[in-house]
Amino acid sequence: MPSYKSPSPSRITAMFIRVKRKKTTYFLHCDPSETALEIKQKIQALSDNPVDCQRLILLSSQLVLEDSKSLADQKVENDAIVALCLKTSDTGVWEDICIDRLSDYATLIDSD
Amino acid sequence: MRKEDTVKLISAEGFEFVIDRKAALVSNTLKNMLTSSGSFTETELGEVKFPEISTPILEKVCQYFYWSLQFASGKETEFHIEPEITLELMMAANYLHT
Repeated sequence: MPSYKSPSPSRITAMFIRVKRKKTTYFLHCDPSETALEIKQKIQALSDNPVDCQRLILLSSQLVLEDSKSLADQKVENDAIVALCLKTSDTGVWEDICIDRLSDYATLIDSD
Repeated sequence: MRKEDTVKLISAEGFEFVIDRKAALVSNTLKNMLTSSGSFTETELGEVKFPEISTPILEKVCQYFYWSLQFASGKETEFHIEPEITLELMMAANYLHT
C-alpha cells in the first residue's frame, strides 16, 4: 500500500471568501465552521493589520461579523464578498467601507 | 496561511488579488513563473503583473482557480460566466494556460 495519502475533500477547499479593501482583494480558503476571529487572524498574517483593528462586513447584507460566531451562523457563503474596514489607531474611529471600483478609474482616464 | 504561501496578482488598472499559491498553480503559465529557478523576479517577490488583463477578468480568473480546486476535491458546482466577459476571459485563459 502506498503511504501517500491523497488530499481528502479537505477543510481548506470547503469554501472561499473574497475580502476587499481599496484596490486589494484577499482570496481566503475557509470552512463554514470557522469564526470571524479566525478569519481576522488570517488577514493579520497577510496584511499586518492587527485583529483588533479589523472589522469585517458581509457586503450583501451589510452585516458586521461578530468574532465569536461562525461564518455559517452569519450567512457567509462560498465566494461571498466581505469588506475589510480598519480602525485608525490614533483616533479609534472605524473607517467606512471603502472598496475601489474600476469605474472610478475609468472616469479618471476619460477626463484626462 | 503565511504570506509566503500567497501570490499577488496585479491587474492592468493596478488592482491587487492575493491568492493562495496552490490556487495560482492551477495556471500552467503561473506555475512556470513561480516555480522556475532564478530567472523570474516573480519567483522571489511572489508578485505577478498583468498589464493586459483588466480587473474584472483577473478577478474572474482567480475565482476560477478556487472553483477548480473545489471541483477537484469533489464538489460539483457550476462556474458561472457572464456572457459579456466570455471573449476576454477566454483570451486570458489561453494566455494563462488554464
